[in-house]
Amino acid sequence: MTTAVIMAAAAATIFRVVPLACTGDRLAVAGGGVLRLADGATCAAVVPGRALGVAIADDRATPQALPPDARPAAEIPRSAYVLAPAAGGDADQTALVNVEIAVTVPPRTPPGDDIYVSTERSNWSPNEVRMDRVDARHFRLTLQVHRGASVAFRITRGSYGTLERDASRALPRAHVAAGEPNGRVEVDVAAWADID
Amino acid sequence: MRRRLALLVVAGCAAFPAAAAARTSATVDGGTIVFFSDTLALIARNGATIRLADGTRGEADAAYVDLKNDRIVLAGHAHIARGTAASSADAIALELGGERVDLLDAATGVTRTTRALGAGTAAEIDAQRFAFPDVDDRGAFIRSRHATIVAHANVRFTPASFPTSVGGVPVPTYLHTFATSAGFGATTLNGATFDQPYGLTGTPTSLTSVHARVEGNSGALALQEQLASGDDAYATAAVDAPLRGFSSGGVTAYRRLSPRYNVLLGAASTYGIRTGDATLSAAFGAAGGRLSYHVQSGGFSSFDASLRSPDFVLPGHATFRLSADTGFDAQRGAGLYPYALLPDGRRYGSVWRHGLDAFLASPIVPLPLGATLSLTLEGSRTWYAFPRHVDAVTASANASKRLSRSVSLFAGYTNAWNAQVFPNQEALFYAPPAVQQLAPDGTPYVGWNAYRGAAVSRYENFDVQVAPPNTSTSVRVSLRHTNDFYQFDGLGRPLWEIRGDVRFRPFPNVGLAFGRTYDFGWAGRRWTPGWSFAITP
Repeated sequence: MTTAVIMAAAAATIFRVVPLACTGDRLAVAGGGVLRLADGATCAAVVPGRALGVAIADDRATPQALPPDARPAAEIPRSAYVLAPAAGGDADQTALVNVEIAVTVPPRTPPGDDIYVSTERSNWSPNEVRMDRVDARHFRLTLQVHRGASVAFRITRGSYGTLERDASRALPRAHVAAGEPNGRVEVDVAAWADID
Repeated sequence: MRRRLALLVVAGCAAFPAAAAARTSATVDGGTIVFFSDTLALIARNGATIRLADGTRGEADAAYVDLKNDRIVLAGHAHIARGTAASSADAIALELGGERVDLLDAATGVTRTTRALGAGTAAEIDAQRFAFPDVDDRGAFIRSRHATIVAHANVRFTPASFPTSVGGVPVPTYLHTFATSAGFGATTLNGATFDQPYGLTGTPTSLTSVHARVEGNSGALALQEQLASGDDAYATAAVDAPLRGFSSGGVTAYRRLSPRYNVLLGAASTYGIRTGDATLSAAFGAAGGRLSYHVQSGGFSSFDASLRSPDFVLPGHATFRLSADTGFDAQRGAGLYPYALLPDGRRYGSVWRHGLDAFLASPIVPLPLGATLSLTLEGSRTWYAFPRHVDAVTASANASKRLSRSVSLFAGYTNAWNAQVFPNQEALFYAPPAVQQLAPDGTPYVGWNAYRGAAVSRYENFDVQVAPPNTSTSVRVSLRHTNDFYQFDGLGRPLWEIRGDVRFRPFPNVGLAFGRTYDFGWAGRRWTPGWSFAITP
């Protein structure tokens, strides 16, 4: 019987899921869906909260080792679920995605000054990451963030006294870089705290 | 006396910080806890226990706390109890602050109840509440075994380790703040070569932290207290104690009064000089104005009222702006410098002035071979209620050329000229110096005698930047040359400098940046003291 299960699983498509629990012949996966296990499949390899592969054949799931090319859980056929399909929110956050921050500085910016990104990740260190210069008024930086994450940031010239200000010279709300593939945030700095 | 008082205030802040009122929302224990600073995902495994502020206690094989959305998922053999009431399920979803509790049984579906854990009712699966992220532990920012959470503010890990592929850096405890108020970036600390904050205590509206710093050649420790109210108001106080040199301290408070007005108040003590500042900024459409008052120990004070025009767009997309200001400088108890040089200098206790400034900027102009050029020109004159005026003209040109997707070249030139003009009284204000100006090595600077109030600085730079796209890696080498008057071996800016900056991510969760400058023997000095160094999450 076990050999038959393994052979069937080998022929099936494998999906990457995060299990919440495995009991009896049911496997609850992140996002709230519940799959029925294939005959002969067991919960032995299932660790709640730790990603694993499930092979789906005949709308039954067989837990197994996670191959690198496993498809996302969101692609599991709805018919495989015995309780509601999982939500799309159980995103794969193992991957780091690049988010480009593109900044335009005001004409009065001192031409030799470096431009920095200050984020919540460093408790708003004003010279956290130096941006790369594109030309006299344009800068860019590629931030690596986890897929699905969001990072709040502000622009500085390296110190708190040179933090960006909005058009009314007040502190602006933080910008947000969202962890989406090929994400891009454009920031137009209106003014600096130290330059009227 | 004042220093002792300042130290007393700081000690008081440290002993009884505003943040001490923080109310813990939850504690999490686990065989392992991993935390991701960008997603604010906290995952406990190998047996997880969560205790909430109202006495609710949850246990499971694993637990996920979504600190951005105040959401908790208990996964595998999940059990929740409050007082004598208890429930078990395959997975449980609840909130840090909310009452709702969803219990998922893989065989029967979802039962919905409250924190009181009374009889539940069958419900549709709210799938999003059971989302549990798929993470790679190797990318975690922090590993720990115990976490204390203050919702919307911070999480403390005890102990904490910052893992890398070659081992972890352990500390007994670490406070990670994720409150986003602009005030949490506010500081009265001066710039430093290196500044690593270490949070002590925090709430959604306050943070007390110590800063390990490198300031020039000296290490320093600073203590900072920050209070914030969203992005609209903050107050912050700090004391900085370098191992060598003068300690400094300051207090700053900011309040956005309306969409049009904001006010900034500050007081500081640096190198034994105490200062106080008050500034009211106003916006009128794209134009604006500012009132500011400055006072410092020794009796000096100044006042400014300024107005600025909007940026006018000229033909060809150049921009032009005018600003004007008026105000006074005053010196209590003695003559105001430089008028004190006059025989009747004590008459000039305060002197009014007014000024005009014009600024012109070109657009980014495309040049042949894919290069670009940007030009700026600024001129200003300040008139004083005394036969004196100050003129300044600054011009800059900056070109860039992208050689490939990764490699760019930059060249810049800035010329700044300014002149202090005392009509018919130059001999009085710029008399030959009685004491010869000496360079740091004792060499006489004969050229200093030529100074008659006019100074010029010229700055040229040539940079090569290598920044491969879609990576965090960047290398920059800058060659800088200055040619100023007045400038002499060791006096003023170095003639030639070459600087290198490198930024890279050796590990998925840690970035590093280094910088170093070579001075080509300026006053016998080769290297600019110290490195610039930063650790980025």
